[in-house]
Amino acid sequence: MLDERELAIHPIVQESVQHNARTVSNIRALTASLFGVAAGTLGLESLPGFIFYFTGTAIVSLLIFSLKAEQDAKSYFFRPFSDLWAGDMFGGLMSFVLTWTLFYGLCKA
Amino acid sequence: MADPVEQQIHRDPALFYWILLPITVVMILTGILRHYLSTLLQTTPKKQPLAKIREQRSLLRAQNLRGNHQQISKSSFERRKEVFIEGVKEGRFLADPENRGKPRANPMSDPAMMEGMMGMMKGNVAMMVPQSLIMGWINAFFSGYVIMKLPFPLTPQFKQMLQAGVGTRDLDVRWVSSLSWYFLTLFGLQPVYNFILGNNNAASMATQQMAQAQMGQNPMGGQEDPDKIFNAEIENLEVIDHRYILDGVEDRLLAKLGATL
Repeated sequence: MLDERELAIHPIVQESVQHNARTVSNIRALTASLFGVAAGTLGLESLPGFIFYFTGTAIVSLLIFSLKAEQDAKSYFFRPFSDLWAGDMFGGLMSFVLTWTLFYGLCKA
Repeated sequence: MADPVEQQIHRDPALFYWILLPITVVMILTGILRHYLSTLLQTTPKKQPLAKIREQRSLLRAQNLRGNHQQISKSSFERRKEVFIEGVKEGRFLADPENRGKPRANPMSDPAMMEGMMGMMKGNVAMMVPQSLIMGWINAFFSGYVIMKLPFPLTPQFKQMLQAGVGTRDLDVRWVSSLSWYFLTLFGLQPVYNFILGNNNAASMATQQMAQAQMGQNPMGGQEDPDKIFNAEIENLEVIDHRYILDGVEDRLLAKLGATL
């Protein structure tokens, strides 16, 4: 009951939530493609490539947190952990693999 | 690498210009085509008779009342609730009050329902046709060559699919033919469409499936008896424990100001 009351006083606007999620996912998609370009150019293979991707997304999460969300994830995201830190971790994976394969094929093999 | 003998294949750079690039360009263009096709094929909602609209709107109004009940004072809420309940009891909101309680006709015979189903069919066709066309095109034109090497290993089960048309049994699975590049672009081009067409595009498969899921749990089953829906809404309204949002606002304001001072 207390939670409901709290939500009524500080309502969560669906449009804003969607807008934030969309911004994050756009950033993620773009950076994932760029990471793919980098990984392919560096000639990373199998496991190092995926580690590169996950380190990259972690860094991007940090950057979103410190630059876009102004160090205050609570006021930008309803559930900071799942929306900012862990969310969309795999969303960019396919585009990463795409550009990774392309540039690996162009540069290395 | 554990395997000391790594297979190396020298490929003509022309493979890139004549296979990889065309497939990519075609995939992007198909996505754009699919987007515009589905925008064009969308049927404009048919104009509905006044009674039908009144039925929908009054239900919507009750739902909004339930969702935003904190924003109005207790007396206003009670009054609105009473009016709604009264109206439902008299059947004032129903589109055809005479048919109350009668079972609904078969949705197949209802032309409006057929219209909705046609719209869904069109969406599916706009999705499926380009995909199978392109797959046929790639199979007909580009099968039989190894065009690229994947940067990650795969299990041999993929061999049959990814090396389709390549008749070399011992070739590493990492060497793949053009069909696998097709699959990669199929799944990986989503952000590209997002940047070209904006976020609410119809080009991608994922959004299509999502839209279908949202379209309703039972597109075939049709609507329930509106009278029943209204009665369910009444029950929802009855159980609401109404609390006005301005209750205790002074205390909250003072607490907030006291914290800052």
